[in-house]
Amino acid sequence: MTPLAEGRRRDWMKYGFVGPALFVLIAMNIFPLIYSMVLSFTNVELTGGEYRFIGTLNYKIVFRMAKYAEALRTTALFVLLAVASELVLGFALALALRPRFKAKAFVLTLFLVPMMLPQAVMGLYWKLVLNGDYGVFNQVLGFFYLGQPQWLTDPDLKFFSILLIDVWMWTPFMLLIALASLNAIPAYIYEAAAIDRASRWTVFRRITLPMCAPLLGLAVLLRATDALKQFDLVMAVTGPNDGATQTLSALLYQVVFRDGKVGLGTSYSYIVLVVVIALASVFIRYLGALQKKEGRAAV
Amino acid sequence: MKAQIKYIVAICLVLLAQTGFAQEKSITIWWAQWDPAAGLQQLSQDFTKETGIAVKVRQIPWPSYQDQVFLNFGNKQTDFDIVVGDSQWIGRGATKGLYLELTDWLEETVDMKSIHPRAARYLCEYPAGSGRFYAAPCETDAIGFVYRRDWFEDAKEKAAFKKKYGRVLTTPDTWEELRDLAEFFQRPTQKRYGVALLTGRGYDSIVMGFQPFLWSWGGAWGEPQTFKVQGVLNNAGAVAGLEFMRTLVALGPPGAASSDYFHSLDVFSNGSTAMMVNYFPFYPGIVAAMGEQVGFFKVPGHDGRRVISLGGQGFSISTKIPAAQQALAKQFIAWFQQIKVQEKWITYPGAFTANTQLLATEAFRQASPYNATFAESLDYLQDFWNVPVYNELLAVAVRYLGQALDGEKSAQEALDALAEEHELILMQAGLLK
Repeated sequence: MTPLAEGRRRDWMKYGFVGPALFVLIAMNIFPLIYSMVLSFTNVELTGGEYRFIGTLNYKIVFRMAKYAEALRTTALFVLLAVASELVLGFALALALRPRFKAKAFVLTLFLVPMMLPQAVMGLYWKLVLNGDYGVFNQVLGFFYLGQPQWLTDPDLKFFSILLIDVWMWTPFMLLIALASLNAIPAYIYEAAAIDRASRWTVFRRITLPMCAPLLGLAVLLRATDALKQFDLVMAVTGPNDGATQTLSALLYQVVFRDGKVGLGTSYSYIVLVVVIALASVFIRYLGALQKKEGRAAV
Repeated sequence: MKAQIKYIVAICLVLLAQTGFAQEKSITIWWAQWDPAAGLQQLSQDFTKETGIAVKVRQIPWPSYQDQVFLNFGNKQTDFDIVVGDSQWIGRGATKGLYLELTDWLEETVDMKSIHPRAARYLCEYPAGSGRFYAAPCETDAIGFVYRRDWFEDAKEKAAFKKKYGRVLTTPDTWEELRDLAEFFQRPTQKRYGVALLTGRGYDSIVMGFQPFLWSWGGAWGEPQTFKVQGVLNNAGAVAGLEFMRTLVALGPPGAASSDYFHSLDVFSNGSTAMMVNYFPFYPGIVAAMGEQVGFFKVPGHDGRRVISLGGQGFSISTKIPAAQQALAKQFIAWFQQIKVQEKWITYPGAFTANTQLLATEAFRQASPYNATFAESLDYLQDFWNVPVYNELLAVAVRYLGQALDGEKSAQEALDALAEEHELILMQAGLLK
């Protein structure tokens, strides 16, 4: 076989290997993305029937109606509070569980249980626990004469009830990552700090925290993307149309599956997509810069 | 070899007979999960006996009923032949080509004069007054109050009430009287509460709970002919009605500001609340559990105006099924409308008829402790918008009314914002010019 023919054969092989994956990617990701973009300029409905091109009307509606901005605000607040609480609690727990002790594996496994359960099931379970009339939570509070807060119906509490469930479920995830990053810090660095008589606070601030930061940053990114999609807990606890807890996904469900407005729903999704991509790219750049800095420090 | 082939052919024939050839005719009905649906399943056994056509009533939990029905309508063929659709759905079903038009057939099959005019108008007809029907009456419904008769008849309570309010402790005829009663029984330290209204943020309970206040105080959802909302939904009467509703919510059990149909049933069933409003088909359970302890009264009025939220559902036939199935569905609906079948229908818990002849009978009024109140309520019924965009209107109403009850917005602010968004939705739908 001539070198030219050999080269061509290799090219075909490359395409042969990459082709199927490329086809799946186009069919499952690229095509729906473009198709939904087209739909966002139409009045197509879930139940079918004829639809027509309506220009940018759907986008105008999204910008004019307050509920879309409110859902965006609610989601942003949820992501911020949930991820921050989980990070702080997870890291604190990891620091507490770092030393070797008896039954460490058992305790760690116990901590991981909430994370392994389905969110919808947990939502329904917590709905019972937090029920204002017969929930276990209020029974305990009642025993100590601490009042009977309406966790699921009080407008000031229901958002925090969902937040509490999310924190309960996902703090173990942060714990796991934080523990892995703590264990990856070489012992000799701590030994050197001890020789320099560095205080515990200095060790934490100058060694532990910076060396865990890249991995924690990744965990924050993963959790933030997940929290941004929060749907199951909202559906199970308050339903998709409660203004106090309506996240982006819940509103999209309401618009597309209840109102049947597929065109309007896709236009909102695109606006959200742009916002999320902008925020994610800023965060990824920050993470990249942090890793570079960390790399230089290690060298 | 020949013998083996004979056996194989014989087995194939038997299998075919069991599947294709012997396939029985059947109808699938979708309805929400509650007592009337269970009653319909039982009643339909008579239809099966008469015709050999099997009927399966699939009960879907209320919170996901609407979602599942309209998701299914998105398919080329629906899994149901008949849907017992909520009154508000009819505009969407009719204009989007989901419900089969029944106008000519219904007029031939059913004496429409025997159907209560409000049931025919709100459950079956679209647009209102057009004479075009997309559903046949199934379950006629209204909201009404259940109260603790034992508390109301207690001699000590009667004396205390008389002393405080200067009148006899009895069921109220006006909202103001109801407020006094709620105030009288509101004793949180004794874990006794005045009244549980419908204020939930799920499907439509807050809207159904607000409507009697809206209409009785002189407001409305909008002008039915022009679809104009501003100045109607947020006029002084509507604002006063919402404010009055807020005062009553404060005289309720814990969680009264966000209490859906089921939460309200819970707070009444646990024996803590004096009065509760809900749809009549939910009451058989209360009567079974509390018996003589409870009584019923119709929704009060204000300034001589009494308006009650309509409930109920009609039988609609899916357009997305074969013609043969549509014929079977019509056969079932025609059978159901017969007077002898209706007579049996109303014997099932929570099953209500739209037949005026039956509603007027003493037998019906005496059949359950709430039937007489139900029959008296029908003349005051009104419904929410039933236009194709009803669900968007509903969702927005739930949010703003909720914000008003939660104290996040004043009644005026909430209704102003609601009127503006309702006009926007109606304009986008091409209804408001």
